[in-house]
Amino acid sequence: MSSLWFLNGVRKGIKTERYPSTDPAAAPQWPSRLSGSNGGNCPVDAITPEGWIKEKCIFCRRCVPDYQPTGDQDIFTVKKTEDTFLKSFHLFPLDSGACGSCNMEFLSIFAPQYDANRLGIFMVNTPRHADAIIIMGVMTQGMKEALDRAYEAMPEPKLVIALGACAVTGGIIGNAPLDREKYHVEIAGCPPSPYTILSAINAARGGSNMRRDSGSGNREAD
Amino acid sequence: MRYYRFGNPEGRFIGNTEKYAAYENVISEHRHEIGAESYQNLPGEFTFAYGPATGGLIESVAFDLHTPGELIKHVGVDPYVKTRPLKIRGLAPQDALLMVERINGFHAASNALAFEMAVEDALDIDVPDRVWYSRLIMLELERIRSNLEVVKRVCEPAGFGVPQNQISYLRENVARIISRLAGHRYFFSASSIGGCQISKSGIETMISSVKREFGEIFNALLESKIFLNRLQNNGNINEGDLLGPAARAAGRNVDARLEEMHMPYADLGFKPFIFDEPDAFGRFYVRSQEILASTDMISEALEHSGNSSATDTAGASGEGAARVESPQGDLFYYVRITDGRIEDIQMSSPSLLNIEAFRKSMAGNIFTDYHFNWESFGIWISELAVVIQ
Repeated sequence: MSSLWFLNGVRKGIKTERYPSTDPAAAPQWPSRLSGSNGGNCPVDAITPEGWIKEKCIFCRRCVPDYQPTGDQDIFTVKKTEDTFLKSFHLFPLDSGACGSCNMEFLSIFAPQYDANRLGIFMVNTPRHADAIIIMGVMTQGMKEALDRAYEAMPEPKLVIALGACAVTGGIIGNAPLDREKYHVEIAGCPPSPYTILSAINAARGGSNMRRDSGSGNREAD
Repeated sequence: MRYYRFGNPEGRFIGNTEKYAAYENVISEHRHEIGAESYQNLPGEFTFAYGPATGGLIESVAFDLHTPGELIKHVGVDPYVKTRPLKIRGLAPQDALLMVERINGFHAASNALAFEMAVEDALDIDVPDRVWYSRLIMLELERIRSNLEVVKRVCEPAGFGVPQNQISYLRENVARIISRLAGHRYFFSASSIGGCQISKSGIETMISSVKREFGEIFNALLESKIFLNRLQNNGNINEGDLLGPAARAAGRNVDARLEEMHMPYADLGFKPFIFDEPDAFGRFYVRSQEILASTDMISEALEHSGNSSATDTAGASGEGAARVESPQGDLFYYVRITDGRIEDIQMSSPSLLNIEAFRKSMAGNIFTDYHFNWESFGIWISELAVVIQ
């Protein structure tokens, strides 16, 4: 291989998938939407008589075979969208107490397979340049002030996105950083896959996940 | 305990747990002193605070850089800003495992296996040979992904967008291999006390492809003098206690895989890659060589590997300890189990000594060296910032 990096890059060809315009090329089974009934033995009470609660689920597979994964990556809820961010959407990630896997899955949406930049989605290094804050992990005392200050530093309009079971409900580890009514977007998964994260972020800025709804916007993945 | 005993400090220091100090084969009830160093700015110097929350860091960690402007005179690191309390004591081992996997999600296989091996040691559980091969594959796959991430992040501050993205592409491919093998991209719930569940269909071809593609990128990086210049003599450290790739880059023949009693590293002819450049370049070089070596080991181990279901630990009691070579270095677990419940659990992460090594190695460097050096250690804060309850 030549160390002329430009040529190296061109020779490799296009590696980016067309998701979310098309179905995911390599959707994981865990996590994905679960389908089933009855069951028990859930360590986080995500299996109830009323059914499966995606935000609590840590996808530990203890409910198998009563529940089975479907491969469906749309396990998120968008409560509010901001169409202002349709052309460019800048995200500030904040680790309030994560194990590292949500951090890595969030970074993965910028890998060539997903390439969030092509959709106008970017990561920023300071909340002052951010349109949305991505909160990952449970609440920890040491990060409370950093979270509050990051939120206050963001300009209006702004969105708050909870990424992963810990951030949404506390998961199996502890307590969520914020009350759930403060979240505009909740992304389930332990950790959520890059497909789920990309689809949720795209929907949050009013983007169309074409494979599902032909352009009307994926406001509710439920 | 079959491999560890309580006693006076002896052999290589691995790290401190909440109560103990862990050495190669000994657990000491007296924690090893790691000197906390304070620094007073000299006239003309100031403290530059970096973190805990910034997009330039994967995890939350706070740095105080003492500097007159460009030269870094001293670094203070606070890895405990995001300390998580984990309620593990009182749980059955299989329930505790769900928590242990999430101590460091990126190194979940290492944490899970070290914990499982400590429980198996405590309860005299025999594990089939085929499962040891499967566990070796899990550990080496995790090492490949982790090392790819380190090499990628070392390319980032150099502005090497093409290799950075090409390695990022490979890292995602390895995540997909792991998902196919273990059913989960981070090995969560893939192994159990006494057992392991993997699916190896198609893995060998995919791993060969990773080896070939990374080998090409690695060779091209070695031809890039500008890139090498950013790494060489950056973050020199060859004093004190070093673990993992940082130790091997400094010429030390230390690796928990050499002392492994169960996983068949010796049968596969494993020899650690030792280098003599104790800087960011040496750490980059050792990690890259380990990626290539790990792909070979996985290819050989696949044909011998197999599955086994979990062992019931209800009502059992005992005390055990184990250590594995995580991608960052020695990772140690100790457990005491009474009537099938975890009465005590102690863990020592390689992050403790690696942060200390990074801190010492940074003095005398300049600001633009900082990211290369930090990333070259591959430190994970989540593993250190936990309080087990």
